[in-house]
Amino acid sequence: MSRATPKMREFATHLIACEMRERGFAETNVLAAFIVCEKFSLRLTVSFGKTGVRALLLRSLALASAETPGLGAVHLKADGSFEGWEALGAQVGPGEVAEDGLVLVAHLFGLLAAFIGEDLTVHLAREVWPELSLDDSGFSNTDENEKAT
Amino acid sequence: MKKRPDAAKGTQPAQVPGQPAKAAIRKLPSGVRGLDEILGGGIPEFSFNVIAGAPGSGKTTLAHQIVFANATSKRPAIYFTVLGEPAVKMLRYQQQFSFFDATKVGGAIRFINLADLVMEKDLNAVLEEIIRQVTVLNPGVVVVDSFRTVVRKAIGREGGESEVASFVQRMGQFLTSWQATTFLVGEFVQEEMANTPLFTVADGLFWLWQVPERNSVVRKMQLIKLRGQSSVPGLHTIRITEDGLQAFSRTLGLLGAKPRAGERRRLSMGIPELDTMLGGGILEGDSVLVAGPSGTGKSALATQFIAEGLRQGEPGIMAIFEERPQGYTQRAGMLGLNLEAPQREGTLETLYLRPLDLSVDETMRAILDAITRVGAKRLVIDSLVGFEMALAPGFRADFRESLYRMIGALTGAGVTVLSTVEVEDTFTALSFSQYTISFLTDDIIRMRYVEIDGQLRKVMVVIKMRGGNHSKDIREYVITDKGVVIIQPRKTDYNGLTTGIPQRSGQREEAAPEPKATG
Repeated sequence: MSRATPKMREFATHLIACEMRERGFAETNVLAAFIVCEKFSLRLTVSFGKTGVRALLLRSLALASAETPGLGAVHLKADGSFEGWEALGAQVGPGEVAEDGLVLVAHLFGLLAAFIGEDLTVHLAREVWPELSLDDSGFSNTDENEKAT
Repeated sequence: MKKRPDAAKGTQPAQVPGQPAKAAIRKLPSGVRGLDEILGGGIPEFSFNVIAGAPGSGKTTLAHQIVFANATSKRPAIYFTVLGEPAVKMLRYQQQFSFFDATKVGGAIRFINLADLVMEKDLNAVLEEIIRQVTVLNPGVVVVDSFRTVVRKAIGREGGESEVASFVQRMGQFLTSWQATTFLVGEFVQEEMANTPLFTVADGLFWLWQVPERNSVVRKMQLIKLRGQSSVPGLHTIRITEDGLQAFSRTLGLLGAKPRAGERRRLSMGIPELDTMLGGGILEGDSVLVAGPSGTGKSALATQFIAEGLRQGEPGIMAIFEERPQGYTQRAGMLGLNLEAPQREGTLETLYLRPLDLSVDETMRAILDAITRVGAKRLVIDSLVGFEMALAPGFRADFRESLYRMIGALTGAGVTVLSTVEVEDTFTALSFSQYTISFLTDDIIRMRYVEIDGQLRKVMVVIKMRGGNHSKDIREYVITDKGVVIIQPRKTDYNGLTTGIPQRSGQREEAAPEPKATG
């Protein structure tokens, strides 16, 4: 399976940072990544329906788990929320925990961008995180990022 | 009430002094080129419409074009998606069209998925959600796609039909009262029209077809009903391109063409002897048919007609179907006619139309657009046979009718049209065309081969001129580096020229117009 692209990782980093600022998290916290996924899922559900969004989340988790095995313990519940992420910190170090969450977010947005394009993906993300600027999104970078998969 | 942005065009009915004003129906732009004219100016505001048709006929694209053309942040559009094409894929595909504006998504256009509600609950819950969203967002346009899937579940149940009828009635009333223009998109077949309450309630019914015809696909649209305004009846061709749907009205947008007024001028064909034969030239705004077999010089004559117009300051269009523009221009150069300069200067446009799956109306739209671009006064169609061959097979049956509409409207507006048609020479009769299109033409010039003194020579005759008297002489001509050159009346007499094998009735007093082979 393909790895999250540097561009999507950068985008995910910005989104997680937005969420952490909003919640006042002092340091990288795996919870922030899952909040990003669930918050964005809520927005997507309005347009794509629960079934459609659950399918996207499942695929994102599968892609991310293949890249970071730590996510193998995480499951998607029927209501579209994640379970098992709480145990991540106990199994691995803090840096790895942060990496797991980052990869999941990167794959979710990468998958959506593959379907509806980067433009619309960023547009939808900015509905949820209005403070996200286009410069933050990382999409102004060249396509060289894409080659680094 | 909030003032609506004036995005729509159309006219408001004039108020008669001393009488209360009638309800003014504003017309919303459809966002589809050509469709507003078919609609009679646009989509009636607050109307409740159905977009019906088979899968792949363009229903969703039409709905999207309407939404993107009308949605604003003050009066957004809500696009309810139900079961059917997943919304994520719908957005993926629709954004490929040029009308798709991603900045409107989420703000001016809200995509709301009702699939879970439809699967888990009943129609009342669906209606409640629609009412809730509409009340909150105050949309100007509402789409439900696919409406068919909303009601399908209920239809199978006992009492389902009345439940659906009640749902449609209540939704229609609510959305209209809420001043929303509504579109229900669904896969319906025409047989359902008689006993589906939805079609009774609807103010507008857009029906889309996609019909394979041999190796081509023909797309058509019909406005089966549209309350409150006069639409153009009949089936209209549609095409889906990167710009979305484009509609081609059967009236070709020429309903409002101003008729020619006053005395009409006589236009020179660029061949003085032929002008004399025509009683002084072609009457401005006439339709001229030049008929003859291959190689008789029909295209040369048509080129001289256009070139003479350009000399007189009359821009022209050449719609050619059998030869590439470059070759056509080069051949004109060999006749001493420079078509390159006027093409550069924008007074002449050469249209090369032979993609083999065009509809008549699309082709005519291309011609009409070119006429408008250059302000053309003269139009050449070379040839009608090539024109017909360029059409999708399914459209060939409409050829004469469509040609009649276009030529009638163009000549009515003062454009002089010269069409060529290839006819096979028989040696027993003088036919004008295999199309029976003489009713389309005011004037007919017939060219043909005749066998004289062991040579295949060419003659022409003016068969008909509606606008006045004309010469009845059959005149011999040659094609030289000056184009078609008509030979002065010859002293040699022949009978039976129209048979192609004339008999000499006079003395042999003249040499052949072109040298005979020797040795």
